[in-house]
Amino acid sequence: MSGAARNASLGRLIAIAVTLVVLLSPFLWLLQMSFRPNDQILQFPQHLIFTPTLENYTALWHSAFSASFVNSLLSASLSTATALLLGVPAAYALSRWAGKGKHALSFAILITRMAPPIAFTIPFFLFYRWIGLLDTVTGLVLVYTSFNLPLVIWMMQPFFDSVPSSLEEAALVDGARTRTVFTRIVLPMVAPGIAATAILCFLYAWNDFFFALILTRTHARTAPVAVVNFMNYEGWEWGKIAAGGALVMAPVLMFSLAVRRYLVSGLTAGAVKG
Amino acid sequence: MKVEGIEAERRGFRRWALAPSLLVLFAVAVLPALYLVVTSLTPFQLTDPGSATDFSAPLRNYGLLPGDPRFVNSLLVQAKLSFWGVLFQVLLGTLLALLLHTQSRIVEFARTFFLVPMVLPPIVVAVIWKLIYTPDISPLTYAASLLNLAMPSLTSSVQFALVSIIIADTWEWLPFTFLMVLAALQTIPDEYSEAALVDGASRLQIFWYVTLPFIAPILVISGMFRLIDSVKAFPLIFLLTGGGPGTVTEVTNYYAYLLAFDTNEIGYSSAVTVVMLLLVAAISLGLVWMGRRREAMA
Repeated sequence: MSGAARNASLGRLIAIAVTLVVLLSPFLWLLQMSFRPNDQILQFPQHLIFTPTLENYTALWHSAFSASFVNSLLSASLSTATALLLGVPAAYALSRWAGKGKHALSFAILITRMAPPIAFTIPFFLFYRWIGLLDTVTGLVLVYTSFNLPLVIWMMQPFFDSVPSSLEEAALVDGARTRTVFTRIVLPMVAPGIAATAILCFLYAWNDFFFALILTRTHARTAPVAVVNFMNYEGWEWGKIAAGGALVMAPVLMFSLAVRRYLVSGLTAGAVKG
Repeated sequence: MKVEGIEAERRGFRRWALAPSLLVLFAVAVLPALYLVVTSLTPFQLTDPGSATDFSAPLRNYGLLPGDPRFVNSLLVQAKLSFWGVLFQVLLGTLLALLLHTQSRIVEFARTFFLVPMVLPPIVVAVIWKLIYTPDISPLTYAASLLNLAMPSLTSSVQFALVSIIIADTWEWLPFTFLMVLAALQTIPDEYSEAALVDGASRLQIFWYVTLPFIAPILVISGMFRLIDSVKAFPLIFLLTGGGPGTVTEVTNYYAYLLAFDTNEIGYSSAVTVVMLLLVAAISLGLVWMGRRREAMA
């Protein structure tokens, strides 16, 4: 930069460390609480040193929470698979076809990304009530596909753009069919892009709270909704709430580290060039 | 002849690659949007099935909006939440980016940890702040009691409820502006500030005349993104305040939710949602326009 030292000075390092601790302290507070025995949570002053226990986690595992965890896994992975299956070929076609429709489509994608979820929830709720998809994993998969499919199309286009078309042309001249070229030559080259996109799709679906809150009751309830239910119906079991929160965020933290390079282009999908 | 055959075959492939996606997008995005608009023209209530197709007074819902104090109030609350949230996120994000914009292995490694609040599931962020704001178990209340201060319950006080939401929202999205600004900082060629240094410019002058003009467009764009997304701050409000006390933290999104799924006023809620959607679309269009202009300038 622009006025900054080439190598970090000691003062700067200390400032960074302090900022990091302050910024992460609310998050660390939840983590420590999830390992604390329940009778100690309401006691102040709290001892920083305590014998960590897994009792909150094991209690969760033997409750209905485990079923909702499975629901979350199922709906997130199935919607990711559906979105990839439909969206990857579409992104390829769009990348190789510079037509006018491209702009219209990217605007449509932008709208679906920007619209507040409530705009989709009301129609989906009425429709599901009518055909009996309320409180089903299938219903969730369908809703999640509505925002994951645009994301796939948006994310995959630059990856296809970067595959030189001369490769495909050579194969085509040799008599290969377009489909074969796509599956045998192009797809393997964009495999890292597919992996990153898949993880982002999974995270978006996994993180959803609003749709699951309204479109599910008991059978298809997902983990985020189950955590909140510990507050409403089963008394205030803070240890369980903290442990539930920790379990919901565990896969997210692992996966986002893997795709942090793509986090921003996923978040800003539709408006600026990723 | 052979080239034509390839072309035809290619066109066929493209159709098959695009058609399923377009169909599904139409079914899961366009149709619901149309349905929402149609419902907003009816006085539909879940308890009265016949009202779903009652188009006798199509614009009645929209006519009611300006005279509905809760709706007007919800727009104001949203404006306050968005304004302060975006302001703090851009300001603090920029400061953080400036702090971490340095060449050092450790700092580059540390950057990842600054992203944690943003990647957490929104409901977990809400749970985290619930643990901090709930007086019984709050470390804040305890710290205040050590200083002999009586701290009110932040989320249920008229004065502080919205502030507590703004704090949590800023914490969650600060990493986003930080990432965007850091990326912009890294594109500034070193020569600029070096030349300014040689000319005897102070650090503050360099920031003001070299760095700031460079990152200004990104500040605006990331602010706009946050502005659009601030309309979606649902989990925080749902878990921390429930729109209360009274309607102090009831943003338009939350009001529409309560209307539809608490009081079953589906028709009226749809009208509220359509208005909100139009506002968001207007901001989004502005964003696209700015993005294009920026590309054209580059």
